[in-house]
Amino acid sequence: MAPESSSAGAPDAPSRNEHSRSRRFAGWQEHHGWSAGASLRRLAARPLGSLLTITVMGLALALPLAFYLLLGNVQKLGDALGQSQVISVFLQPGQGVQQAQLLAKELGGRAEISGVSIKTPQQGMDELARMQGFSGALQSLDDNPLPYVLELQPRPDATAPALEQLVTDVRTMHSVDMVQDAGSWRQRLDALLAVGNRAVQVLASLLALAALLVVGNTVRVDIASRSEEIGVLLLLGASSAFVRRPYLYAGIWYGLFSGLLAAALAVLIEFALAEPVAQLSQAYQGKLQVGGLPLWLLLVVPLAAAALGWLGARLVSAWQLRKAA
Amino acid sequence: MIQFDQVSKRYEGGHEALSQLSFEVPTGEMAFVTGHSGAGKSTLLKLLGLIERPSHGVISMDGKSLAKIRHGGVPKWRRRMGMVFQDHRLLMDRSVFANVELPLVIGTIAQAERARRVRAALEKVGLLAYERQLPATLSTGEQQRVGIARAIVARPSLLIADEPTGNLDPQLALEVMGLFSEFQQLGTTVLIASHDLPLIKRMKKRVIVLDHGRLVADLAAQEVL
Repeated sequence: MAPESSSAGAPDAPSRNEHSRSRRFAGWQEHHGWSAGASLRRLAARPLGSLLTITVMGLALALPLAFYLLLGNVQKLGDALGQSQVISVFLQPGQGVQQAQLLAKELGGRAEISGVSIKTPQQGMDELARMQGFSGALQSLDDNPLPYVLELQPRPDATAPALEQLVTDVRTMHSVDMVQDAGSWRQRLDALLAVGNRAVQVLASLLALAALLVVGNTVRVDIASRSEEIGVLLLLGASSAFVRRPYLYAGIWYGLFSGLLAAALAVLIEFALAEPVAQLSQAYQGKLQVGGLPLWLLLVVPLAAAALGWLGARLVSAWQLRKAA
Repeated sequence: MIQFDQVSKRYEGGHEALSQLSFEVPTGEMAFVTGHSGAGKSTLLKLLGLIERPSHGVISMDGKSLAKIRHGGVPKWRRRMGMVFQDHRLLMDRSVFANVELPLVIGTIAQAERARRVRAALEKVGLLAYERQLPATLSTGEQQRVGIARAIVARPSLLIADEPTGNLDPQLALEVMGLFSEFQQLGTTVLIASHDLPLIKRMKKRVIVLDHGRLVADLAAQEVL
């Protein structure tokens, strides 16, 4: 084994600067590729453990998506019901068709109203007659006691406070006896939806934290099991960033796969809801549209989960490697 | 040139491993550090590898004090040197090739260049035929030679070895020392901690003798009997 003066492997002379920056960059890129591949192979080498971690994270991320989907549909249901909702204005007894038409014209000019229809006392009587159990009672009446009723159709974009103000204004009108606003339930629903949305935000934050901790703990165990290898790498001059790289990629893989699982579960939930929602829609003359998760959200979830996995791995690996160094 | 100037190392608990040690090793020289167990040989090498820091005194290389190298600069410093360990410290789940390749991967050397250098280093230690094997399938001596190939593959300017022949039979130990001698002849500074006195005598190189952390003798090559 004679020494060679210039061939590779022989310490013929220190040559620290012989590689250009571009070559080093190529080497750095190559190590990123190697780290990504090696971390993926490590995940595949212990399929059960990896699958459990990914499933736990996936479920944690799917839960807020499911709630988001549910709330979105409740919101749509509310919108659909809101469209069929009218404000009924009962005129005082004795008010005639002329007065009803005048008031209808006045109210029809308001910005919150998209349409006004006049229901005559006779139409009201006919409606009552069609209801079971009323026909006999109505026949015993000498006169029609029902007043003229104006049915106001609010615009879909009318806000709850504006409609509330409208109802208040109409109630004070001289010829009006009573106003029935069946839309007030919508305000309560909106308030409940706001609470639900906030709850989903809090839940999503907590579950994201849980996912972060799951990745962090998995990476911690991985690093602990490879402490000897890490020690050797550090002795050979590896920087913390170099040693950390495969673990960061592992975090990214865990996050990405769990994000894809969460998105897939959300789509499954959507499919599961499709049929009952379609039936509900039929009950409202097709006004209710099935609300799925937007495509951008389904794309963002895996990416955000990958970022979350990276963060969990970054935090834990920095702490672990500081101890190892 | 490596310089130790009044270097002491006291561990937590009060044990003084090195005491006011002063010596110089010129660039391209090969020297043995010897002494009984606990004399401070390994501590001396750990100080050079920045695995430990001195409690007092200054260690410098080519005029630059190692004390100025902060935590972030340690990896770069270690990449300048090759380290050989008594227990080899090979990664048993990676092939011989992959083990030798590690310093080049760390040094972000491109793949084609890495392959060329790894094969040259393995050829030098006589293990080219074993490049695809796992270290566990090799004998202790062969594992040690893999460790040496790994230490020289990045062409370090300084090679330090801690009891590199501790687990080898006399013939293999002599072969390994021959390898170190070859690297020294090519300009690498080589510092070897060993308590194998017969082997040291046969090598006829400079010997630094420690006793309880103190320098008790510094023998030039011609003074070694």
